[in-house]
Amino acid sequence: MFQIDSYAYSNRLYSTHPGEKFAFSAATMTICLASSSMITALAVTLLMAGAVVLQAGIPWRQYLKLMTLPASFLLVGVATVAVSVSVSGQPEMYLFWFRAGSFSIGVRDQDLAVAAGIFLKSLGATSCLYFLSLTTPLVEIISILRKLKAPTLFIELMSLVYRFIFVLAETAEKIYTSQSSRLGYRTLKNGYFSLSQLISSLFVRTLYRSRELSKTLSARCYTGEIRVLETRHDISRRNIVVIIVLELLLAALALYDGGGLIGRINS
Amino acid sequence: MKKNSILLSAYFLLILLVFPQSAYAMHIAEGFLPVKWAGLWVIVTAPFLVVGLRSIRGSIKEKPDLKMLLGLVGAFAFILSALKIPSLTGSCSHPTGVGLGAVLFGPAAMSVLGCIVLIFQALFLAHGGITTLGANTFSMAVVGPFVAYGVYKALQKMSAPHWLSVFLAAALGDLLTYVTTSLQLALAFPDAVGGVAASFVKFAGVFAITQIPLAISEGLLTVLVFNLLVSYSRQELYDLSVLKKEV
Repeated sequence: MFQIDSYAYSNRLYSTHPGEKFAFSAATMTICLASSSMITALAVTLLMAGAVVLQAGIPWRQYLKLMTLPASFLLVGVATVAVSVSVSGQPEMYLFWFRAGSFSIGVRDQDLAVAAGIFLKSLGATSCLYFLSLTTPLVEIISILRKLKAPTLFIELMSLVYRFIFVLAETAEKIYTSQSSRLGYRTLKNGYFSLSQLISSLFVRTLYRSRELSKTLSARCYTGEIRVLETRHDISRRNIVVIIVLELLLAALALYDGGGLIGRINS
Repeated sequence: MKKNSILLSAYFLLILLVFPQSAYAMHIAEGFLPVKWAGLWVIVTAPFLVVGLRSIRGSIKEKPDLKMLLGLVGAFAFILSALKIPSLTGSCSHPTGVGLGAVLFGPAAMSVLGCIVLIFQALFLAHGGITTLGANTFSMAVVGPFVAYGVYKALQKMSAPHWLSVFLAAALGDLLTYVTTSLQLALAFPDAVGGVAASFVKFAGVFAITQIPLAISEGLLTVLVFNLLVSYSRQELYDLSVLKKEV
């Protein structure tokens, strides 16, 4: 049902220590966002694509497809940043422009540069997020959050939600299949009614399941805390060295090209 | 003039090409916001999460079973956002579940659950992001539910018909989420010529294409869901109102 989650369990970096993967992804994302250099953002995107495709062994076609998922927001958002709308705009300010009523709509070259910067940065950051979510199962991300001292209740809710998502998704999928095999989504009106039936019966099942689960847990002496065992992973010195070297290289590239690794954070 | 009209049509063609496949609720993509704005929204959102967690913790102490229920409700909200609302043009939009969740479970619980749902959307669906989590949580899990809940309660007090209060709660919850996101984008990227106001008009205008139909269809859908729940699951709704008082 969820492609990214299934890759998280079946990739070649599955058994690597989750802390290493988390640190790699977080440090790279920080450098990508903090620097103002476009080349760094591009380098981050390529580095992460390399890590995901060559190291983790995710098929590159699938990875490309995944990269297009956030594209709709990104393209529209960036286009909106690039275009200026005003009443007082002068033609000489713009690279190209036109009038719509009393508004002048145009693109200025410095805005185009800003937009390109945002696009590349966002792409870089997205690929860092993909690296983490494609190589690290959510249970392990949750265990990292636990080590980072996130509130216990929040973490417990997160792991509960994670477990239940699959239960409910299966139910929803089955209802949807049987509805559409009875032409439930044939017309727009039927579609609305079918979907509302799906949601309300899913809701009732949700309540029912939570009641059943409470009974099950109290039969096993549940008093308000769920304890789970975590898989142990070995820390690899080699990986840590590789990560540090890569991050230093990226930081050097950012400083060399944009010059604003720290200036950007302060501004 | 001819060049201009070509540009204009190219722009709308781009929007048409990019949008129709699926209209999700509007989440700011990973890495889209500058560092200081991303940080600011985390700081703004944090108190709501702290209060939400505290109120949940309080009610769990009295009723340990609530934790299971909240976990399932979070999963329910995530699944809702992955469903598709059918629409005329063959494109599909995804409900946010903001209105339904807020009316059923109250806004305080929804702020925490909404934040969790957003984390899952970022990790599982690459929709939204971790650095923009603060901003997205504020618009979708704080503003949306509080508006939806406020509208619902206010209209119920004015003894408006039930379907109307449900419709407006869901639709306005969605609309204000989208307005908040547009404002967040406008503040981070003020228009070089026209400032924040012009930028807001730009963002709100561009995303209106998907978000206003989404608000209306989600409003309709929520009314249908509520009608079904009222006629077939009265007992569950009654049980939940106990939950609502506590959370």
